[in-house]
Amino acid sequence: MKWFLDLSLRNKLFVCFALIFAAMAWVIATAYVGIINIRDSQDRLYAEDFANVQDLDGLRALQNRVRAEVLEAQLSKSRPQQERLLQDVAAGDKNIDLTMARLTERARSDPARLSRLEELKAVQSAFLQTKDGEIIPLIRAGKIAKAEQLAVGVQQPRSEKMRAIGLELSQAAEQDARRAVADADLSAGRSVRIFLQVGVAAMVLGLALALLLVRVIAGPLRILSAAADRVAAGDLSAEVARDRRGDEVGDLVRAFATMVDSQRRIMREILEGVGVLAASSSEILATTTQVAAGATETASAVSETTATVEEVKQAAGVSSQKARYVSDSAQKVAQVSQAGRKSVEGAIQGMQRIQEQMEAIAESIVRLSEQNQAIGEIIASVNDLAEQSNLLAVNAAIEAAKAGEQGKGFAVVAQEVKSLAEQSKQATGQVRTILGEIQKATGAAVLATEQGSKAVDAGMKQGTEAGESIRQLADSIVEAAQAATQIAASSQQQMVGMDQVALAMDSIRQASLQNVSGTKQAEVAAHSLHELGKTLKQLAGRYKV
Amino acid sequence: MSSEQAGPKRLKAATDWRELHQRIEAARLAVDGASVPDAGILRQRARVLAREPARAESADAPEWVEFLLAQEKYALESRHVREVHVLEDLTPLPCTPDFVLGIVNLRGEILSVIDLKKFFGLPEKGLTDLNKIIVLESANMRFGVLADAILGVRRIPSAEIQPSLPTLTGIREKYLKGVSRERTVLLDAGKLLADEAIIVQEQV
Repeated sequence: MKWFLDLSLRNKLFVCFALIFAAMAWVIATAYVGIINIRDSQDRLYAEDFANVQDLDGLRALQNRVRAEVLEAQLSKSRPQQERLLQDVAAGDKNIDLTMARLTERARSDPARLSRLEELKAVQSAFLQTKDGEIIPLIRAGKIAKAEQLAVGVQQPRSEKMRAIGLELSQAAEQDARRAVADADLSAGRSVRIFLQVGVAAMVLGLALALLLVRVIAGPLRILSAAADRVAAGDLSAEVARDRRGDEVGDLVRAFATMVDSQRRIMREILEGVGVLAASSSEILATTTQVAAGATETASAVSETTATVEEVKQAAGVSSQKARYVSDSAQKVAQVSQAGRKSVEGAIQGMQRIQEQMEAIAESIVRLSEQNQAIGEIIASVNDLAEQSNLLAVNAAIEAAKAGEQGKGFAVVAQEVKSLAEQSKQATGQVRTILGEIQKATGAAVLATEQGSKAVDAGMKQGTEAGESIRQLADSIVEAAQAATQIAASSQQQMVGMDQVALAMDSIRQASLQNVSGTKQAEVAAHSLHELGKTLKQLAGRYKV
Repeated sequence: MSSEQAGPKRLKAATDWRELHQRIEAARLAVDGASVPDAGILRQRARVLAREPARAESADAPEWVEFLLAQEKYALESRHVREVHVLEDLTPLPCTPDFVLGIVNLRGEILSVIDLKKFFGLPEKGLTDLNKIIVLESANMRFGVLADAILGVRRIPSAEIQPSLPTLTGIREKYLKGVSRERTVLLDAGKLLADEAIIVQEQV
């Protein structure tokens, strides 16, 4: 059975239905066979026995008709009518032949009947022969009386015989037919019995298969649904035996088992979580209560802070004002220092001009000195000239001495030259002295100029220093002014910031008020959460794991 | 810088400047005016400055050329002196005795120059100018003698010549004529010119 259990449902159903189908087919086949048998027997009955009877009856009828028509033809006075009747007779003969052929065909298996038929046929052929060979031509020839004679004479016993054989055959055939019907009844009954047996067997098979299926499919499913009901009711401890079947039911059972397992696990976790939730919600409740209290305190602190911020704002405004004032003063001082620097620069420029003049003076003094030098050189050359003149005079005196008396005048001249030389020497000496004095004076002037220049330098340095210090002062003033401006700006910003802080404090205050109400709401919510946690716990407790 | 000080200074300077300018102007005029003196003024000046000619001394008063050498006054007879000249372009000669300083080119003629101090063996006494040459000339000798300065030509009577002082023992007596009243050392130029020692052998 394992293989059957392992089949998929589809295959199982397929197999069962196939079996049932096969049973049904068997039943149908049986029925069909029975019915076919019955039909066959019916057909046979009809085709043979009944047909025999019918044919025999027909034969008799035809024969009668033929005879009648012949008689009528005999009696008929009109030729067309005769012809017609004779033609009918001919047709009837044909039919009789056909019928006979059929009867003969059918009686092949029955020798007795066959012999009787042969007998009949012989009589018929004799009759026919007579009819066709003699009567009808006679009729046609108009020899009615002869025909009549023949008809009554010879034909009568033939037709009587024919009728008797026919009747006999027909009775025999009737009996056959009745017998066949009885046979058919029997076989029908048998068929019905077989059919019923087969039907019953099929039904039993069907029932058995149904029961099997029920047991195999519906059973586990019912167990499963029962388990599912239990699970729905909350009993997650319901165990479903895992089936090792390989079909969908097995899969379903295994899946169900897995599902229940995981549900159990999840439920356990949910239970744990719910426990935690319940615990946390109570903690939250406690905390929220604390927070609510804290929020109220915060709100009061914030109001105090707002007041303080207002005061700070005032102070910031005052400091801003002061800073602006300082900035303005610094600006003024900066301007003044600028003016001071300008004047210092002017003084320095004046000094520079003095310096330039000093330099010009020094230059001209130097030129003077140079010219002094030139004069000195000239004086030197004059002195040189004087020297040479002196020498010349000496030479002249020597020559004069050498010349003796004639040289006296020359000696005088020489003396004059010498004295001139002396005087020019003296003059040059004087000039040199004066030059010396000039040099001294020039030196002194240069010195004075130098000193003056130095003084101007010192003055310039001092002026530069003063300018420098004024500049530094100006710079520091500018820095101070900038710093003051920055202070003013920053205190402005401070004020703005304070405004913003005040606004912010106000909004904080409002927010803290909202916070207080919010925390109260949160407290309420925490409370309801706590309740919810308890409810959840209760709900979760309903599940047995 | 005190502008208060500059103020009065400036004021003082201002008045000074004007005066100064005037003085300078006056001086300039004076200089310009006096640059080309008149011939008449010159003659007048010459007459004022002219001196009486030196009286002729007694016969035995030869003329001596007085010169200065190392702060000592010396003199040489003028009859041996050809001329006096300025010392220029002295060219030292190698392989010559100390007293021969070198040679000069005097108007085309080569003249040897003697340093008397070295010749006499006198010690060097301080700085000397040594820029004058006294050209001594005789019949067969001619040389120049260095001198610091030429004092002049003077007649010195022979009677006034005194014998040499003990302080001048350094000079060889043969060159010494005597000493004058003014303590001028009178040298015998003739002896100098004739001296063999002056002649430098060409071969060393």
